Amino acid sequence: MYNRAIRGSLIIGDKSYSQISADILAPTETKPGKWWFAMMTLATLASIWGVYSIYITVAKGIGTWGVNNTVGWGWAIINFVWWIGIGHAGTAFSIFLLILRQKWRTSINRAAEAMTVFAVGCAAIFPALHMGRIWLAFFIIPYPNTRGPLWVNFNSPLFWDFIAISAYLLISFSFWYLGMLPDFATIRDRTTSKIRKALYGFFSIGWVGSSRQWLRFDSLAFILGGIAAVLVVSVHSIVSTDFAVSVEPGWHTTIFPPYFVVGAIFSGFAMVMTLMIIIRKLYRLGDYVTDGHLDAIARILIFISLIMGTAYLTEIFVAWYSGSEYEMFTFFRNRITGEYALQFWGMIICNALIPQLFWFKKIRSSLLMMFVISLFINLGMWFERFNIVITSLSKDYLPSAWASYTPTWVEVGTYVGTIGIFLAGVLMFFRYIPMIAVSEVKAVRDIGTRKYD
Amino acid sequence: MSSSHLIGVFDDESQLVKAVEEIRGKDLPIEEVYTPYPIHEVIHAMGTKSKLQIFAYFYGLFGAVAVLAFLYWTSVISWPINYGGKPFNSFPSFIIITIVLTIFIVTIASLATFSGRAKLWPGKQHKAYDLRATDDKFVIVVSMDETGPGELGTIEGIMKAHGAVEIREEET
Repeated sequence: MYNRAIRGSLIIGDKSYSQISADILAPTETKPGKWWFAMMTLATLASIWGVYSIYITVAKGIGTWGVNNTVGWGWAIINFVWWIGIGHAGTAFSIFLLILRQKWRTSINRAAEAMTVFAVGCAAIFPALHMGRIWLAFFIIPYPNTRGPLWVNFNSPLFWDFIAISAYLLISFSFWYLGMLPDFATIRDRTTSKIRKALYGFFSIGWVGSSRQWLRFDSLAFILGGIAAVLVVSVHSIVSTDFAVSVEPGWHTTIFPPYFVVGAIFSGFAMVMTLMIIIRKLYRLGDYVTDGHLDAIARILIFISLIMGTAYLTEIFVAWYSGSEYEMFTFFRNRITGEYALQFWGMIICNALIPQLFWFKKIRSSLLMMFVISLFINLGMWFERFNIVITSLSKDYLPSAWASYTPTWVEVGTYVGTIGIFLAGVLMFFRYIPMIAVSEVKAVRDIGTRKYD
Repeated sequence: MSSSHLIGVFDDESQLVKAVEEIRGKDLPIEEVYTPYPIHEVIHAMGTKSKLQIFAYFYGLFGAVAVLAFLYWTSVISWPINYGGKPFNSFPSFIIITIVLTIFIVTIASLATFSGRAKLWPGKQHKAYDLRATDDKFVIVVSMDETGPGELGTIEGIMKAHGAVEIREEET
């Protein structure tokens, strides 16, 4: 059981329930600060560049990218895996902790899930563009068609990917929205503005907080949580099979599924930390997102970072132990030394070494250090994907087929654009949606002190 | 149709739980309890059970069978394609799609069931007895038409004894 004397309370200060509502809903009820508009302008500009790059890609074709016959997968796939990875922790965080009944999730789950929805949305853009003729993208849906009927290849990981990501987007969004119903109702019932009442009234779809609704709410949350936990693990495993089932040095390994899943949760947790620090600092919600919360995330990051380091070493060891000269070349001549050494060492330093700084209590309690390290982790995870995608493809078996790869501005623009879209989504989330689950925080206010126990 | 209700408002979770448990213990009817967050003692005392999990299990069973059947039909019967001499019914690699699509089906079906059972859908007109029930108050609503003579007084007494901050009658 939760012992308050030992573990402390989950939120700081002796707050009344209406104080909790008022604190958390304040950003949705007041005009945002200047920084919000500045960031929004930045995000919009980035999105415009992104949309223009997407337009060029669609209008002129994949030839505007830097990919070639040898390196057929470029930034688009790197960014796809990167975004999906970030999108992972939201649900992983929220759902694993829900199933394990860890109550400290309540302050963080909403923002983590929001991040998931936006990140997976950004990720989905890349494979769609990579199909080349995006207007025929619906061919991937197995529907009875007049072309035979010709079905899609159900044995292809690329098709599994499509299904997995659609399912993931659906379930993440449903879970996120379900949690917001009570909070939308709270806004609806508190506000005096007619517009807000109508708007949030519509989105709360009739929530009144009756015991019968709460009963079903809890049931559905556990159903969605239970099946999404399976999905979290399987989605990134499926993404990894995109690589692992092909006969490429550096890809064709059995370590890939767990390595990808852990890496995904790693980058997602880092992004959760980035967001929670922003929420805490800019919205002054330090009473809800306490040092304890950030400390817990930092500890998890140390642990995952160790797993990542082990995975990197295992890969290198297996490349040597396999005796395959192609594996040896890929790891020792192309990654550790050679053309892509920068990305390799960037990956090692950002993912395996820098997060180890969290062993120090001082660093775990400094917001600035945590913020910087969380950004480094996401940079490192981007390097990791670059490493995997580009180095293996660029120099595999026949030296005559070797090629290098540099992105064009269109690819860079698409990437920057997705960052802009993500940022705009997160800013809208800050502005219009309670960024901490109000009803869940109320439920844990008195944790460990229930008077009638 | 007009109906009248007795509404008891509480400030505190533990007082509400005691009141609800005592009223239900005496087999007196409570129409509904409105709370800002789920309170399991109240849900338990109200005696409603959710069959959503059982439903979800059968959705999953149905989904898994349906997806496997669909994959078998497309790959073996409708248009078999020979991929490097592998069997048409490549069962092991069908499992992945089966798992993911089963999850997809369970999600959609459970959401639909939830929407129906919890009576929540876009455009739903809701009836709130006390607007503060989504913020910081715990509200017991008793239908006066369903309570027998004398019972109403008992209920009111119990609410008062457990520290209801407000008891009122409302005609709708």
